[in-house]
Amino acid sequence: MSSNPGHEGALPHEEHGSHEDAGISRFFFGRVPAGVHGGLKQYGILAIFLAIITLIEFLIIVPEGLQGSSIVIAPLVILSVIKFFCVVAFFMHLKFENELLWQIFVAGLVLGLVVALALVLLFGVFRPTPRAFSEPRAMPFEHHAAEEEHHYEALVVPTPCPVGACPQPAAPGANPGAAASPGQALFVGAAACSSCHTISGVAQGVLGPPLDGIGSAAANRIPGQSAEDYIRESILEPDVYAAGTADGLSQDYDGNLMLSTMAGILPSLSDEDIDNLVDYLLSLQ
Amino acid sequence: MAHVDTTHAPAEHEPAAHPPAHEEETTTGISHRKLLMWVFLGSDCLFFGSLIATYMVYRGQSIVGPYPIDIIDVPVTTISTFVLLMSSFTMVMAVAAARNGNQRRLIQWLVCTIILGGGFIGFQVYEFNLFRVEGLRYETNLFSSTFFTLTGFHGAHVTLGIFWLICLAVISARNPAGRPSGEDVDIAGLYWHFVDIVWIVIFTLLYLIGGFDSGPDAGHAAAQGWQWITGIFT
Repeated sequence: MSSNPGHEGALPHEEHGSHEDAGISRFFFGRVPAGVHGGLKQYGILAIFLAIITLIEFLIIVPEGLQGSSIVIAPLVILSVIKFFCVVAFFMHLKFENELLWQIFVAGLVLGLVVALALVLLFGVFRPTPRAFSEPRAMPFEHHAAEEEHHYEALVVPTPCPVGACPQPAAPGANPGAAASPGQALFVGAAACSSCHTISGVAQGVLGPPLDGIGSAAANRIPGQSAEDYIRESILEPDVYAAGTADGLSQDYDGNLMLSTMAGILPSLSDEDIDNLVDYLLSLQ
Repeated sequence: MAHVDTTHAPAEHEPAAHPPAHEEETTTGISHRKLLMWVFLGSDCLFFGSLIATYMVYRGQSIVGPYPIDIIDVPVTTISTFVLLMSSFTMVMAVAAARNGNQRRLIQWLVCTIILGGGFIGFQVYEFNLFRVEGLRYETNLFSSTFFTLTGFHGAHVTLGIFWLICLAVISARNPAGRPSGEDVDIAGLYWHFVDIVWIVIFTLLYLIGGFDSGPDAGHAAAQGWQWITGIFT
C-alpha cells in the first residue's frame, strides 16, 4: 500500500466505504477517507446544482444586448469551470481517489489547455474579428425558405427573395444614401441589382454575373450590338443572352433567373430609371 | 433517499458477486485498468483541446454563410446539454448501485443513462440535419468544417459510450451473479462523465459564446455588452 496515509486502502475497501454515509457537507467539503462514495442524496444535490448552473448560463445570454458580447465570456467560463470540476471531483470521484490520478488527468488537461491557448494567442483570436484575408471577402448570409428543404438544388442556387422581403446586403464602405450617381443609387436601392450582382466596393451579390468593367465588356458580348443596347437588353430581357464562361466568366449564368426575379421589380422602374441604370453600368470601365 | 442503501440483502445471497479481495496488488495502489482509463482521459483532453483550439482559431474567418448566428439554436442545445448532464447523474447512480452489488438498480440506472445518452444523440442528429438543410455542409466554410469535426467526434464518443453501457446492461441482465464488477461499471462511468465534461466546454465556447458570431460584420456585437448594461441604469 501507499506510504501516504491519506490514500491507504484507496482501492480494496470500496464496498465497505459505500456503506458509510459521508454526510452532505463532509462529502462535498470535508476530507473524507478514500473509498467513501456518495449516494442518491449527494449526487442528487450535485445534479440539481449543475442543472441550475446550466440554467444561469442560458439566462446570461438571453438578453439580446448580451449575445455575442465579450463581457459575458468571463462569467460563462467561470460557471463552466465550476461545472467541469464538480463533475470531475464528485461524479468521477477524483476527490476520493489516489493523488496520482489527479496528476495524470491534470497533466493531460493542462497540456490540452496550453495547446489551445498557444494557438489562440498565436492567431490573436479572442474576438471573432475577421482577419485580413476574410474581411473583404465575407458574404452576408440569407436564410433559405423552409419549404426548400427537400430540394438539394435549392441549397446550391437559392431562389431569389421576393422584392422587399430580403435585407439588402450592404457592402462594406458602401452607403446607398451617398451614391455617386442616380444609377448607382438605383443599383443598390430600389432596383435591388446588388442582391445578385457584384461590383467592387458597391455590391456583393453572387447569383448573377459580376459587373465590374461591364461598360467595356458589354461591347464584345453580342457581335454588332453596342454596349448600351446590350446592357439595356440585359436588364429588360435578360433571357435573350445569358453571360457565361464563353465571356471569360467563372461560370454560366441563368438568364431566366433574372427574368423571374425582375418580373416584380421592372414595372416599378420608370424609363428614366432604366436610363440611369444603363448610364451607371456603362460608366463601369 | 435511504432506499438506495439496500446493500445488505445482496451480500447475503451473492457473497462473491463483487469480491474486492480479487483486485490485484499494484505498486501504485490503483488498479491497472482504472489507471489506464485515467491516462486515456488525460490524452483525450489533448485530443479535444486541439479540436476546440482549431475551432477557436477559425472563429469569424468564414467568408460564406451560414454563419453561427444564422443557425445555432442555443435554447435547443441548452436542453440537450441538460439531458447529457442528467445522464451523468444516472450514470453515477449506476456506479453506486454496482458498487453496492445491487444488480437490479444497476440495470435500471444503466437503462436511464442509455436513454438519456440516446436523447442527446437524437438532438445532435436533429441539429446536424437542420444545418444540412440550411446549406451548412461539412465543406461549406471554416465554421462548418471545424464545428462538425469537433461536435462529430464528441457525438462519436457519446455513441461509443452508449454501446458500452448497453453491453454492461446486457451482461448484468444475463449474469446477475458475476460481472460486471463495480470497477467495470466505474470505468465505463469515468468515460461517460468525461464525455459530459467535454460537452460542458463545447457548449460554453461554441454555443453560449461563439453561437452569436456573425459573418462580415463579426465582432460588432462583442463591444455592445457594456452599452446594454449601462442602458439598464440610464
